[in-house]
Amino acid sequence: MNASHLRTRREFLVSLVFLAAVAAVPLFVTSGYLLGIVIVAMYYALLAIAWNLLAGYTGQFSLAPTAFAMIGAYGTGMASYHFGLPPAVGVPIAILVSAVIGMGLGRIVVPLRGPYLALTTIAFAEIVRHVARNAHEYTRGDFGMSVPLISSDRVMAFYLMLALLVAVQVGLYFLLRSHAGLYLQAIRDDETAAAGRGINVIFWKTVAFTVSGAICGFAGAMYVHFSGLASPDIGHIFETGLVLASVVIGGIGTMIGPLVGGFIVQFAAEGFREFGLRHMLVFAAMVILFVRFFRQGLWGLVKNAWDRLFGQGAARPARQVKEAGE
Amino acid sequence: MMTLELILQGLVMGVFYAMMGIGLTLIFGILKVVYFAHGESFMVGAYTYALIAALLGLPLPIALASAVVVGALLAVIVERLLIRPLYEKFGDWQQMRDEYAIIVTFGLSLFLINAANQFLGPYPYHGPALTDIARFQFGDIIIGGHRLVAGLLGLLILGGALWFIQRSFWGKQIRAVAQNRFGASIAGIDTRRVSALVFMLSGGLAALSGALLVPLFHAQPDVGMVPALKSFVIVVLGGMGSPIGAIIGGLILGVLESFGAFYVSYAYRDTFAFVILIAVLLLRPQGLFGERAREV
Repeated sequence: MNASHLRTRREFLVSLVFLAAVAAVPLFVTSGYLLGIVIVAMYYALLAIAWNLLAGYTGQFSLAPTAFAMIGAYGTGMASYHFGLPPAVGVPIAILVSAVIGMGLGRIVVPLRGPYLALTTIAFAEIVRHVARNAHEYTRGDFGMSVPLISSDRVMAFYLMLALLVAVQVGLYFLLRSHAGLYLQAIRDDETAAAGRGINVIFWKTVAFTVSGAICGFAGAMYVHFSGLASPDIGHIFETGLVLASVVIGGIGTMIGPLVGGFIVQFAAEGFREFGLRHMLVFAAMVILFVRFFRQGLWGLVKNAWDRLFGQGAARPARQVKEAGE
Repeated sequence: MMTLELILQGLVMGVFYAMMGIGLTLIFGILKVVYFAHGESFMVGAYTYALIAALLGLPLPIALASAVVVGALLAVIVERLLIRPLYEKFGDWQQMRDEYAIIVTFGLSLFLINAANQFLGPYPYHGPALTDIARFQFGDIIIGGHRLVAGLLGLLILGGALWFIQRSFWGKQIRAVAQNRFGASIAGIDTRRVSALVFMLSGGLAALSGALLVPLFHAQPDVGMVPALKSFVIVVLGGMGSPIGAIIGGLILGVLESFGAFYVSYAYRDTFAFVILIAVLLLRPQGLFGERAREV
């Protein structure tokens, strides 16, 4: 077992503790409003995890995570609005559609790097949003489509969303522990070298886009069955900003960072709303400050503080040697 | 005569797109990164013009000039605080400068949009037109008075900017840094000052473009988003780093949009640009006049 696996495992265990704490929330909170906030927080955490798989682990800075959430939302939304299909059919359709479109986009953008990838994906996101806003006969444009609730019981909806979040987190852990996880990180660190070592870069990049798109689509589909409305606002560029903020504030390229970041962003958004302050203003400022000064995000800060408090000065290099030797 | 009128309308919009694009292409030229907050220079220019001309009632040339100054100042401050680490030594991000630039300028763009929303409100600010004449008519061709005057003024500024970049001493320094930052610094060029100059120039041009468009679009917090994305399209179309390409790309996009909105679909008028962007990146990554825009 190498250092990367140990790091991933530690982050995974911490995230399980965090998820267990979240699972206990309905025992203490009965207010449907507060549960709703946590459900939305889980939605953002899912998008953040999916984006982190692309950006943090594979190095593909796509700007289209919410476009896939919107594809998922409209997938199930149109299935129920036009054909009266229940969520049990609509959500799998949504996952399938967003996975296929993710695969298509991933395959197309394989040759593009850095700025060009960001531009292509943001253009893709805008096209999707424009189509949703303008294809009135299919999507009802800006009015959005009303969608049946997945469960009239908030607690039930809460645990369904949590189950999805846990499944994604566990799945991601096993993905990262497998060879596939190492391939993805190798592509992030040096694409040319990865290709030189025999990694099929085109295939694994496409896989990353497919999986990330499917998770986003799943999350978007669940979200509309909770909120009851599929609207183009799901894919707004500000939503992409919130997803970026979750990942950057929590800690990019870690398992725990995006999860906690999603919760922080949603809770803080509700808090700032009380003060009449636009939450995006604060988050955008935090994104700039974190990227500029604390690249590792909150998780990195916590880890450094932990090492300083509980680790002996010499312990860190020694442990690294041990990790490398194992 | 519909065709001629559409071409003229498109060319006028193209002038404003080109003013945005020329700054973005210069920034890409010297830093090789995308700058997502370019639309907010446009937004700041629009607000400055609207506030000074409509609220304070000062003469329009003063309003235009102050829009340029405010836009240039904002861009220089941003360059100093957030962009300079890209070409100074900067720890971890030295390896991931594309990613740093994407996140930091995307965050900056959202920050400025929401700051405008917080402090100036989400409602539009109106600004006065440059001329009282409602429309000009040449034979069958009709064009709005402000559109024509602003377009001609913009064309003049574009010509000046092009002369500055291609012929002046400063412009030569800019192009030297774009070709090879290290080589330029050996030749005695102060690369920091050149970078600041490029940001000043592009911020000022974008702000002027915003100020000139206020009577048509009004100043709102997110008014710069669509022009910024379109200026990326222009830059990719014309070729990253090529000022002439940006101008021609801007004019082409303006005319294409004008025809697309009339003959294809008015609702999708803002969508064509993104389709063009993806098509160019995939089919002709070097653009019309630029360096190769992707590595395979």
